[in-house]
Amino acid sequence: MADNETSTVSGNEDTQKNKYLTFHLAGEDYGIEICYVIEIIGIQSITDVPDMPSFIRGVINLRGKVIPVMDVRARFGLPARDYDERTCIIVIDVDSTEVGLVVDEVSEVADIPESQVEPAPRTSRNTESSFIQGMGKMNNKVKILLDAHKLLFSGEMQRVLQSDSEEN
Amino acid sequence: MSTHLDDDQIEIIQEFVTESRDMIEQLEPAIIELGHDSDPETMNAIFRLFHSMKGSAGFLEFDHLTRVAHAAESLLDLIRNNEIELQPEHVTLFCAACDFSKDALDAVEANYSDDPMSGAADKISAQLEQAIHGPTEQKPDPPGAAESAPGQEAPAETLPAKATVAPELILPEMEITEEMRSSFVQESNDLLQYAEQGLLAWGEHPEDADSIGDIFRNIHSFKGNCGFFGFAHLEKLSHQMENVLDRVKSGSKLAVDNPTDQLLATLDLLQQGLNNIAEGKEDHIENIDSHLDDLKNLMAPLLGDLLVEEGVDKMAISSAVETQKKPVGEILLQQGSATPEQVAKALKRQQESSEEAKSKAKPVSRSKVPAKRQDIRVELGKLDNLINLIGEMVIAENMLIHNPDLKGMELENFGKAAQHMSKLVRELQEMAMSIRMIPVSGLFRRMIRLVHDISVKAGKKVDLQLIGEETEIDKTVIETITDPLVHLLRNSLDHGLEVPSERIAAGKQEKGTIKLSARHEEGEVWVTIEDDGRGLNREKLLEKAISKGLIEGDGTDLTEKQIHNLIFAPGFSTAAQVTDISGRGVGMDVVKRNLEKIKGKIDITSKFGQGTRINLRIPLTLAIIDGMMVRVGTTTCIVPTLSILEAYRPEMDQITITPDGAELARVRENFFPIVRLHEILNKKPDSPQLSDGILIVLEYQDSRFCLFIDEILGQQQTVIKGLSDFIGNVPGVSGCTILGDGGVSLILDVGTLVESIEKSKEQAEAVAASKGDK
Repeated sequence: MADNETSTVSGNEDTQKNKYLTFHLAGEDYGIEICYVIEIIGIQSITDVPDMPSFIRGVINLRGKVIPVMDVRARFGLPARDYDERTCIIVIDVDSTEVGLVVDEVSEVADIPESQVEPAPRTSRNTESSFIQGMGKMNNKVKILLDAHKLLFSGEMQRVLQSDSEEN
Repeated sequence: MSTHLDDDQIEIIQEFVTESRDMIEQLEPAIIELGHDSDPETMNAIFRLFHSMKGSAGFLEFDHLTRVAHAAESLLDLIRNNEIELQPEHVTLFCAACDFSKDALDAVEANYSDDPMSGAADKISAQLEQAIHGPTEQKPDPPGAAESAPGQEAPAETLPAKATVAPELILPEMEITEEMRSSFVQESNDLLQYAEQGLLAWGEHPEDADSIGDIFRNIHSFKGNCGFFGFAHLEKLSHQMENVLDRVKSGSKLAVDNPTDQLLATLDLLQQGLNNIAEGKEDHIENIDSHLDDLKNLMAPLLGDLLVEEGVDKMAISSAVETQKKPVGEILLQQGSATPEQVAKALKRQQESSEEAKSKAKPVSRSKVPAKRQDIRVELGKLDNLINLIGEMVIAENMLIHNPDLKGMELENFGKAAQHMSKLVRELQEMAMSIRMIPVSGLFRRMIRLVHDISVKAGKKVDLQLIGEETEIDKTVIETITDPLVHLLRNSLDHGLEVPSERIAAGKQEKGTIKLSARHEEGEVWVTIEDDGRGLNREKLLEKAISKGLIEGDGTDLTEKQIHNLIFAPGFSTAAQVTDISGRGVGMDVVKRNLEKIKGKIDITSKFGQGTRINLRIPLTLAIIDGMMVRVGTTTCIVPTLSILEAYRPEMDQITITPDGAELARVRENFFPIVRLHEILNKKPDSPQLSDGILIVLEYQDSRFCLFIDEILGQQQTVIKGLSDFIGNVPGVSGCTILGDGGVSLILDVGTLVESIEKSKEQAEAVAASKGDK
């Protein structure tokens, strides 16, 4: 299903501009810039890795490549939910780091022009707003556009990586 | 040159740079050797280096490089011809020329021009010129070189340089110049080639007398030339060949029906000798005597000679030979000069000896002069890709053969095919691994220069011994241990070895020894650096560690090993003063880090006053390990087989639980802490009861512990894959592998497992020790 979508979006930078892959997560729609997305795969067995933050579910084998998998629900501190047949892993590549994102359901590739993107709201309360790049307006709906870089590297993950480099 | 270059030129230049670099690397040790003994071989090798570099650089218009190479070559030539005596400072000069060349090559690689090096080239070539023209009577301090060799002109070092060409090869009155030599080689090459063609033609048409005549003439002139130049071996061999050819020409039979092979083999030998000469070596041919005998055996003794021995009148024979239309024996019988018995006997003898000769003249397989080892340069990236692909193939093969769809099926033929496939894949894997393996000799040889330079600077006398140079290690490993080796050697030289006076006072030989060795041991490669210097000083180490706050207390509770390991702490240096060689305390830290990168280990043993031995233990390959697959609950993990000592199902009475809750297992007389794998992985085991599962005794360095698991699933070769950088280092896990079913399985890292449990179980160990005493 969703696999076909990604194959059509491979192309040069221009065709990827302002395009977002949108997905469902706990009743909200999110979007991530299409240029980061490599492919979408169905959920598969994940191998646990000890001593990881709770949102790092483990690693999977993607055609011989071992890539870590992040549960975006856990990342946002949303309540956990059992994986079902709609659960997908979006494989993204940020600065040559490949990571799989577990989301409830992938919806579509949406074209959101810059003019329709509002800056992220400043809320003092919730920390996950730091992952937000902006709010995309589409018709009457709002898509929360995620900053892939921050999603991967900010917050707790940064601490994990830092403590590693100290160990080294 | 710096104008504009097309791709072809750039390629040529790059080729030149790589080749010249290789040559310099190979020859640096030879230059150092030159200082110790002036073997003509070494001298020639160095001469060739500069000569060919000069040639190539000249062709590519790198004038500065050409200039320096030319100057170095001229100096070498003079030394070679005994016109200048070899001085230690010459060695230093040549080293400097090498260094310059290296720099120039770097410049060439970067800008395709050596113009930036003009200043340095002026300096070096001026120094070389001075050495060439400088007065040979007194020993002048060569400018520049003097500062790096202050007062180090040991009297014994000024060895009289021997002539390049071994003395007996030169005719006393005349001098053989390089030009004469090369024209000789060229001419002889042609002669041998004609002879070979002639021989091949003759082999097909033995009745053709003309071709034999040609061969004979060619070999004859070759012999003459060899005699003129005094190449004794070649002359002897070609002379014998000439004899054989003469016999053939006069129509006599040879001992073997087809002498062509033998003669061709001889030609090859001659060619080999000629190649040696062309390379500036002697004309030495191995086992020349046996080759000469082989040729002699080709010639069957003449019947007439045998008959004379049998007592037949000589005159009668010669008259018989004249009527040679009939067999000699028959004629003699007719003439009554010989009795039938005599003839029969002689004939028999002729047959015998020709048979004997046949067996002696063994069927020489026409082995061409062994071709020089052929190498091709391959980009390392391609090789890595190949090895990765093969790794993938191992996994794919596993997936195929252990495919769940095949479960429970009787597939006899498939099984056979699968087995064959596995074997091939295994071989392919080994082959791919061996491609990456290179001998450590290159690395070791680089150290010769280092040791030479440092020992001169530090005013110490060192004998560097290299052992096991042929040992092969993965290329990446070699790159990783280069820096550590440099640091370790520097340390040994600077801190370890004493100055000569101190050594004599300590009753040691004036000259220190550093042994650098490599060997395979316990599935690892061990690289050992051993010196006979002053060794590590326990008190000094402790004092320093306490002052730096690296240890608590007075350190009396530390073992010898722990104290020695202190030297690896960053910033730790016991050197009273920082020299430009070492003493900042950075080196050992680098050593440790680099070794950790490749999962290597370091052992230090040191006896105060007697020396230090540092052993680097390096895994053979980085990509594949033998692993034991174990299961906890639904999870499978791989434990490296190398760390496993044994595995057993424990009885409850073998388990002791200490008051603080630590579990200990008794294995014969020892108590080992138990680590529950399910706790580390946070999984639910089949049963938490120790007696329901299996304990694997693991060893890392000197600490041992038991790992509690549910079940052992089997053993397999595992291709190590790193966990993603995103995850970083996971304590207790060194990587992962992909299983036959496509799942990912973690590979446990025994080393970090130990470290993490050591912290928590230190107290438990103390209790265990007291229990163990009971």
